[in-house]
This record gives sequence, C-alpha cells and structure tokens, in this order.
Amino acid sequence: MEVKIEKIEDKTMVVLNGRLDTTNADKFQQDIAPLMQGDAPNIEIDCTDMEYTSSQGLRLFLMLQKSVVARKGNLVMRNMKPNVKEVFDITGFSNIIRII
Amino acid sequence: MKKLFNPIKDKSGEIIECLMSSPDMPTDEDLRFKLRLSIEETVENVVQYAYKDSIGWMEVETNLDEKGFLLTVTLKDAGKKFNPLEMPDPDVNLPLEEREIGGLGIFLCKQFMDEVEYHYEDGCNILTMKKNIAKQ
Repeated sequence: MEVKIEKIEDKTMVVLNGRLDTTNADKFQQDIAPLMQGDAPNIEIDCTDMEYTSSQGLRLFLMLQKSVVARKGNLVMRNMKPNVKEVFDITGFSNIIRII
Repeated sequence: MKKLFNPIKDKSGEIIECLMSSPDMPTDEDLRFKLRLSIEETVENVVQYAYKDSIGWMEVETNLDEKGFLLTVTLKDAGKKFNPLEMPDPDVNLPLEEREIGGLGIFLCKQFMDEVEYHYEDGCNILTMKKNIAKQ
C-alpha cells in the first residue's frame, strides 16, 4: 500500500492507495509514526483509493484515533469505498472514528 | 485446489494469494473482498499462534460444489489445539477508550462467511468456511 503524508497549513493530509493487510501493516505503522506526535493534530485520511483493510489495519486506525483524542486533536477519514466502510460499520469503528 | 505450506513462518501473504488465485474463487469484487478478509484473518491466526515460532505446516484447500454455488475453504494445521470460534465476540458498541482489537478478525470472518466450523481431528485443527457465491 502507498501512503502519502503532506502537511497543508495546520492540516495533515494522508492519502492511502492499495490494500492494508498483514503483509504491510508493520510498514504502515512506521509510515504513520509521525502522526503520533505533536499537540492537537488535525488529520484527514483520504481513503478514495484504499482497496481493503483487515483487522491489522483497524488496529492501527484505533491506535491512531486514541492517540489523536488524547492530544485533543481531530481525525477524519474521507471517501471510503463501500466494502471498507462495511468493515468499519460492522466492527463499530464508524462510531469511534469520524467518517465523511 | 489443495496446497501444503511448510514451514508457514512469514508465509501469510503467500498462503492468502494462493487461496485467492484458486480457480474455485469467484470473480465478483465484493465477494472477493469478503473472502480475502475472512481468509486473511483465519490464516494469520494459524501463522501467528498455532505453532511456537511459526515452525509447522498448514494445508489449505478450496472446493466448489457441482453447481458452482457453494465455495468451501478449509485450513488445517497440527499446531496447538485452538478453536478460534470460541473467542468471545468483541463488544462493538464500546466507546473509544474501552475498545480493544482482540477478536475482531474472527468476528469479521463470521460476519462475512455464511458458515464457519471448527473440528479437532487426529491432532489437527480444521477450520472450514463456506460461502454461497452464486450471483445474487
């Protein structure tokens, strides 16, 4: 999976492309390590081209959201494909992470 | 399609792709998503936990019934006896601070497959997943 992280003014834009699974979850964890630092982060994850996530990916999104909330920040995931959204819905993740 | 992997250490990706490229698999993208997720969660469970240091084997198999409707995916290993279906379902209504990740993978598998069964036979864990793949 490709991960692009770009800082635009006070917002951090993350663009995901591909499948997030057991083969690349560790790499993804490293990729998002910078997002786990700093006060009141404002993060938007563009999921337009995220094809898939397994529970390995969910684990990392949960970790990120907990970290963001603890720092009084804001995390939004945008434009999920229906299948990916279904995974977030079934697991109740749609209630703990803001999805637009 | 039937294939043996030995040892399974670091082979999750290869095992998943092997199953997903079986001629028994449907082409429909929505079904493939659900099958891939169910397969990844259960394969990963065996690779991570069945054997000490992941040194051991796993046999994977796909079957399609004569009508081409019912797909069966079977995972077999000789690791420690473990029925993943006995794991309690996660409480998906808990607030953020209380949410934990344990059990989500098998829970997703149970949601996406029509039937998931576990047997322990001749010292082997056998997990069987079934999905109706007939066009809706």
